[in-house]
Amino acid sequence: MITAERKPLSEIKEMIAPYKKILVAGCGSCVAECASGGEKEVGLLASALRMDAKMEGRKIEVNEITLDRQCVYEFIDQLTGLVGQFDVILSLGCGAGVQALADVFAGVIILPALNTAFIGQTKEAGLWIENCRACGDCKLGYFAAVCPITRCAKGLFNGPCGGSKDGKCETDPDAPCAWQLIIERLDKAGRLDLLQNVYPPADWSKQQGKGPRKIHREDQSI
Amino acid sequence: MKTDSRLKRVLEKGHFAVTAECGPPKGADPKVIKSKGKILKGFVDSVNVTDNQTGVVRLSSLAACVLLKKEGLDPVLQMTTRDRNRIALQSDILGASALGIRNVLCLSGDHQSFGNQPQAKGVFDVDSVQLVQLVRQMRDNGVILGGDKLSEPPRLFIGAVANPFADPFAYRAIRLGKKVAAGAEFIQTQCIYNLTRFNEWMDKVRDLGLDEKVYILGGITPLKSARMAEFMSKQVAGMDVPDEIINRMKSVPAREQRQEGIKIAIETIQALKEARGVHGVHIMAIEWEEAVPQLIEAAKLFPRPQV
Amino acid sequence: MDQKSAGLNITIFFCQQLDANQDANRRVLERELGSRIKFFPLPCSGRIEPLHLLRALETGADRVYLIICPEGACRYREGNLRARKRLAFAQGLIEEIGLEPQRLELIQTTQGDQLTIDQRAHDLLARKAAFGPNPAKLQGSRGQANNARTLEPMNPGTPDVYQGVHYDYSGKKTFI
Ligand code: SF4
Ligand code: SF4
Repeated sequence: MITAERKPLSEIKEMIAPYKKILVAGCGSCVAECASGGEKEVGLLASALRMDAKMEGRKIEVNEITLDRQCVYEFIDQLTGLVGQFDVILSLGCGAGVQALADVFAGVIILPALNTAFIGQTKEAGLWIENCRACGDCKLGYFAAVCPITRCAKGLFNGPCGGSKDGKCETDPDAPCAWQLIIERLDKAGRLDLLQNVYPPADWSKQQGKGPRKIHREDQSI
Repeated sequence: MKTDSRLKRVLEKGHFAVTAECGPPKGADPKVIKSKGKILKGFVDSVNVTDNQTGVVRLSSLAACVLLKKEGLDPVLQMTTRDRNRIALQSDILGASALGIRNVLCLSGDHQSFGNQPQAKGVFDVDSVQLVQLVRQMRDNGVILGGDKLSEPPRLFIGAVANPFADPFAYRAIRLGKKVAAGAEFIQTQCIYNLTRFNEWMDKVRDLGLDEKVYILGGITPLKSARMAEFMSKQVAGMDVPDEIINRMKSVPAREQRQEGIKIAIETIQALKEARGVHGVHIMAIEWEEAVPQLIEAAKLFPRPQV
Repeated sequence: MDQKSAGLNITIFFCQQLDANQDANRRVLERELGSRIKFFPLPCSGRIEPLHLLRALETGADRVYLIICPEGACRYREGNLRARKRLAFAQGLIEEIGLEPQRLELIQTTQGDQLTIDQRAHDLLARKAAFGPNPAKLQGSRGQANNARTLEPMNPGTPDVYQGVHYDYSGKKTFI
């Protein structure tokens, strides 16, 4: 899923300062799963903004809505007809959601309330870890399903570096060294032979070659 | 043709090589480099110039190498993959060769979060093993990544680093093998304080026959104080300073600790001279270049051979 | 002055395991104080959401208490621990807007105390009024924030109907 965290209230307040009628729009997908932009978080933020305005004697109107997905037109369409009643839409979607709203509602001010963080896994309740940078050329098959691009601080394809100690990464004593994991798992799988390979540099054009990437599939288009 | 790399000549002639490290200043003053060069000249075969070590911005490694070269030294250009992508790296390799630099040491580099630019974007477009391979390709095949031909290949003696003390230990010699397979011709190791561990690693290296394929220079950093020993043991990534070394440093009064540090370094060098498959030492006297000549003389590595 | 005489609005969320007769026991106080006191029994205090706490403040509470069962006594094992963390999270949020975090307070009961919910409420009402009225509550009758609205997604062309408050405290419902 895409993970995100709410921006500090002070930053959000600064962004919405010029506006009176605010629609806080959440997304029921990834950011709801990671408890940053779902219905509950929409409620919390809206409530906080209203109380904050009250305390400062400002008059604002804050309304709430949560779409099932903020990055898909069919769901965004539910806002059509509503957006005109607001000065600004404060989106609790990920970066893709914010931009999708802005694409659909040209001329409407859409502001992000979240800092979109990473593609990650729910490791345990309340703990999300990054494990994919969407490089466009997945190599997990060589690395025992541990992504060296994401989980090694230096993105080494031929690690580990000289800083790996007691299974921890040199950059963070709390973070496991990705290469220690790779080696352990390859060992268990009886595939230590894969470690002998000198892996060539990645083809980053698959990740950032010519600006934003797109996937276009005829069979899926109408 | 006689190579311009003094380091290569010394090693090929079978001498026990001595290299030292020189950290460029945090400023634009060339005098610092020159005076460090003067101290080392004649005592070492080659001088490594660090590349923004620990992610701290310093005068560039390439520029410092050129300054040392002008002073008559044989510089080793350290290149990390942290700060430059493959375009910049390959371009700098050509530039270094054109400026008469004849040795390069390929490494991934300390993570940027350690330095004074923690907000920098770490590049890591290629890793150290890949860098070795690409320099080797440039030199031997005259091609860059992707296959484009060079009008003139760079002339460089290619080195890499190894840390016998990092984890997972069992894999460390295999990783060295990868660097050798990628084309490394000489290896400089992490500072050695734990000789037992180093020897265990060398056993594996010899088992794999790597000592016959690559020149290995053992890393030496003379300790200045017991505090430094403790700091290195606890704070520096990838460093193994055993308690007995720390205790030995602590056992002498503060003003004698520098001498004790030199003594330990001399003993380590002696041990390395005896070790089969170790072809030299690499002395990293951090901001203490003055100690190097004394250390080299005391370790009976002076005078350096004429090659 | 105590909180009762100070006329403060109190909202009490509580684990209903604490008082088997809570339904009956709280009636007298509810009749006496009307909208000034609100009880919300929870099947387990772990069911509390930060949003409940914020909405309580927004819709008129001056003090909000969350009464949880004794340590280690949670029927659902870790519900009371979760309640503690959720309350702390909500405290952080109201602190961000400049409201005293202590307006939200966790009351951990002790093993073996047999107090009924109304006895506990009396104790809380008898406490010193450390804060005045909550400056962040919205105007209007308690239980209804005139500005708080959740919009239901609509189809294009039907842009008019706003729905009411999503969390309606006036109904004193149980959160399940
Ligand atoms: S190799 Fe690429 S696609 Fe696969 S997990 Fe890593 S970043 Fe994601
Ligand atoms: S310690 Fe491991 S994870 Fe960290 S940078 Fe080095 S190889 Fe990568």
